[in-house]
Amino acid sequence: MFRKFYLLFGFLTLATAAYGEYRGWSLDSTTQIKNVPRSVRDNPGSYRAIYVGYHHYTGGK
Amino acid sequence: MSAGTPPLSTPSKPQAKGLNCPKCGAAITLRTFGQAETVVCGSCHSILDAKDPNLAILQQFDAATRISKPLIPLGTRGKLRGTDYEVIGFQRRHSKIEGITYYWHEYLLFNPYKGFRYLSEYNGHWNDISVCKQLPVVEFAAANYLGEVYKHFQSSDANTDFVLGEFPWQVRVGEHAVVTDFVHPPRVLSSEKMDKEVTWSIGEYMYGREIWEIFKLPGAPPEAIGVYENQPSPVTTNVRDIWIAFAAFVFLLLLLMAGFDMLAKKDPVFDQTYTFNRALAKGEQSFVTDVFELTGRTSDVEIKTSAPVDNHWIYVNYALINQDTEHAWDLGREVSYYHGYDSDGHWSEGKQSDTVVISSVPSGHYFLRIEPEVDPLVPVISYTVEIRRDVPVFGIYGLAFLALLVPALIISWRAYVFERSRWSESDHPPMDFSNLSGNSEDA
Repeated sequence: MFRKFYLLFGFLTLATAAYGEYRGWSLDSTTQIKNVPRSVRDNPGSYRAIYVGYHHYTGGK
Repeated sequence: MSAGTPPLSTPSKPQAKGLNCPKCGAAITLRTFGQAETVVCGSCHSILDAKDPNLAILQQFDAATRISKPLIPLGTRGKLRGTDYEVIGFQRRHSKIEGITYYWHEYLLFNPYKGFRYLSEYNGHWNDISVCKQLPVVEFAAANYLGEVYKHFQSSDANTDFVLGEFPWQVRVGEHAVVTDFVHPPRVLSSEKMDKEVTWSIGEYMYGREIWEIFKLPGAPPEAIGVYENQPSPVTTNVRDIWIAFAAFVFLLLLLMAGFDMLAKKDPVFDQTYTFNRALAKGEQSFVTDVFELTGRTSDVEIKTSAPVDNHWIYVNYALINQDTEHAWDLGREVSYYHGYDSDGHWSEGKQSDTVVISSVPSGHYFLRIEPEVDPLVPVISYTVEIRRDVPVFGIYGLAFLALLVPALIISWRAYVFERSRWSESDHPPMDFSNLSGNSEDA
């Protein structure tokens, strides 16, 4: 039973990895935004990216 | 049913010979048609000579024998491995190990055409036992029987302390034998030495529910306690195959990775260098790039930010915006690099570039909205933004590798724990397991 389960699981994992690679999946975090104002090309300040001010100052060791 | 083995007539039982116990007068039934050597009175438990027409008493008890009730009543019939058998005898045996007495039960089964076989039961674990067809070869701590190697498990004394029914040998309460078990789950090879006679038998593990089905017994079988010496592990037999499959999957994963890496376009679609000048930076800092086109199937987009930071940082807010759909992917990336010397010597942290990959971006016309933030100590800095389409993401393979590894580790661990539990009851415990589990008396 475990052998069948693992074989099935393994092939599903490979298939998922292949599909993900084909579709361009990424592990990086981004946020999707819909309906960005059309005016952003003329006035970039009309849209404020949600990550503004989220950076952290590492300051080194 | 095996060929040439007529079933026992049903529903009436064979014409058993009716006799009476010479001690207590209770009725005695002989089911084996003269093949029994001894028969035990079900009332006073005297052991009688079944070969004697008068049933001479071979052994009797002044005090009442400690009665043990068989889980399968004598006279019960069932089809075991295609042959009808009737339960004709029952004995309880025990061995004493390190001051602890372990009891088990044996049932003698009879078919007039196939002869005898046995069932043993210990703590809810059952074995179907028959006499070996050839003599096993014993070498060191293993025995070879019909080409299969059995590992030595345990040697112990076996003492009979209760008998009931008929037996094809001169059974006695108090009978003593030395039993040695070799295991190759689900089989167990046992030698039983009594005086100078050695009998070899081969047993195969059975579950209580199978016994209950075979003999159509009411209720449920007693729950099996612990792991028995030849109990098949639900996972052990798979461990080697699982790791072979794991290796094969990893190989396929590497092939996938190499294949996709070769096929990935890694198409550079944008490359621009910008300068941040604090003296000129008044008011709104954000700006947009020229429009560029992402072609091909839905795929990923890599944004690489490079800046010659040196004990500084720059943080860039990005929005990759589809000009046609007004759909955007927002992200913020920091490029920072620090280094220096301290009591431990040279140290460094971060690097002068950063790469991020955006998932599944459809084809279309896009531009970037860029909003830089720069370390207040930096008056002027240039930074480069590069965009590539359809790049391989190796993290996916890392996750797939972990996904393949975890079940293999879990199965291996379960197998290890099961085998450890099995062998902790043997003459070859893996470690001081009994002290760890504290349940040796449960065996």
